Amino acid sequence: MVFKNLVQDEEKFAGERFRSGQTKGRKREGASTVNLNHPLAANFKGSRRNMRILQYVFIALAVLCFAVPAFADGGSAAISLVPIGAGIGMALAAGLCGLGQGRATASACEALARNPGARGGLMIFLVLGLALIESLTLFTLVIILLKVK
Amino acid sequence: MPESFALVRLLNALFMGVEVKAFQSIGLGPADAAQQAVKVNGALGLELLVAGGLIAFFVLVRLTLSVEKPNPAQQIAEVVHEGVGGLADQIIGHGYVRFQAFVTCIFLFVLINNLLGLIPGFAAPTTSPFVPLGLALPTFLYYNYQGFREQGPIGYLKQLAGPIWWIAWLILPIELVSHFARILSLTIRLYANMFASDMVTLGFFSLVPVGVPAIFLGLHIFVSIIQAFVFTLLSMIYLSLAVSHEH
Repeated sequence: MVFKNLVQDEEKFAGERFRSGQTKGRKREGASTVNLNHPLAANFKGSRRNMRILQYVFIALAVLCFAVPAFADGGSAAISLVPIGAGIGMALAAGLCGLGQGRATASACEALARNPGARGGLMIFLVLGLALIESLTLFTLVIILLKVK
Repeated sequence: MPESFALVRLLNALFMGVEVKAFQSIGLGPADAAQQAVKVNGALGLELLVAGGLIAFFVLVRLTLSVEKPNPAQQIAEVVHEGVGGLADQIIGHGYVRFQAFVTCIFLFVLINNLLGLIPGFAAPTTSPFVPLGLALPTFLYYNYQGFREQGPIGYLKQLAGPIWWIAWLILPIELVSHFARILSLTIRLYANMFASDMVTLGFFSLVPVGVPAIFLGLHIFVSIIQAFVFTLLSMIYLSLAVSHEH
């Protein structure tokens, strides 16, 4: 039902732009290749409005998704937040470790490209730096292993 | 729970009685003493095995040293010697030969302990946190001893206190904490890496029991070598920092 309306809206807006006299399906004069009178450009405004309606629909659906289990639970047992916290902590640690290691590796690659002769020394410091960065993530892992039974 | 390794059972049979008697001699009752006595576990048994194997290897190489006809053991020993020596030369610089025996032992011991985890039915000894701790503590003591020996007690304390005398009250505690944190970081890095590597293999084994875990055994080899390398490298860096003279 809703989607049918949306589709009709879209057609209406597209048609409006076409009928408005601004374009009559022919090329505007001049060198500009901006597609003001392209048929697809015509329904841009309408499609944005439709997108907003769709957004509201999906937000409402998402809220419903979370609301249903919450009501069904009835507040009988407390949910343990420990696994969630462990997951978030590990995800943060792993993601930021990835960023750090990526930066280190990228710099090492650049340095190697500029000066291939420095390979030996670079490798030592690259491996060392990667190990030191990685160990921070592993500290997080160890703390999680200690705390999550 | 009976231990799975015959060596561990043998060690327990040999030393449990001695240990219980020692506890009884300091005044514990028989039941308490039996409870207090520490059993040898699989990790310690494997460690002893590795240590014995390494000593046998070194003795074999020393006895059969030959310039004319080097045997395979000597070839392996030469590869390890030159690899570690080159690395130490790059990092410690002049006078690295004194420390080479220690770092080579650390490297081989960590490497073989890590690689033991590849054999089905064996847990790598380094997946228990006490084995890396047992390696990190001697490293800490050794580099501090070398620092003291190289620079004298006053010189080493001066190095800890930093170059500017009136800010030493701030630098000294920070330096001490960072030195002791090295034990922690050496221990946990090795332990957590090997443990995580084992867990990954185990996790994929529980998902797909055929084929796929073999890939992660390859990853385990890679991680083992890298971690042994990093442990050695960090020992060398700590040594080089401890014995370096400031000019």
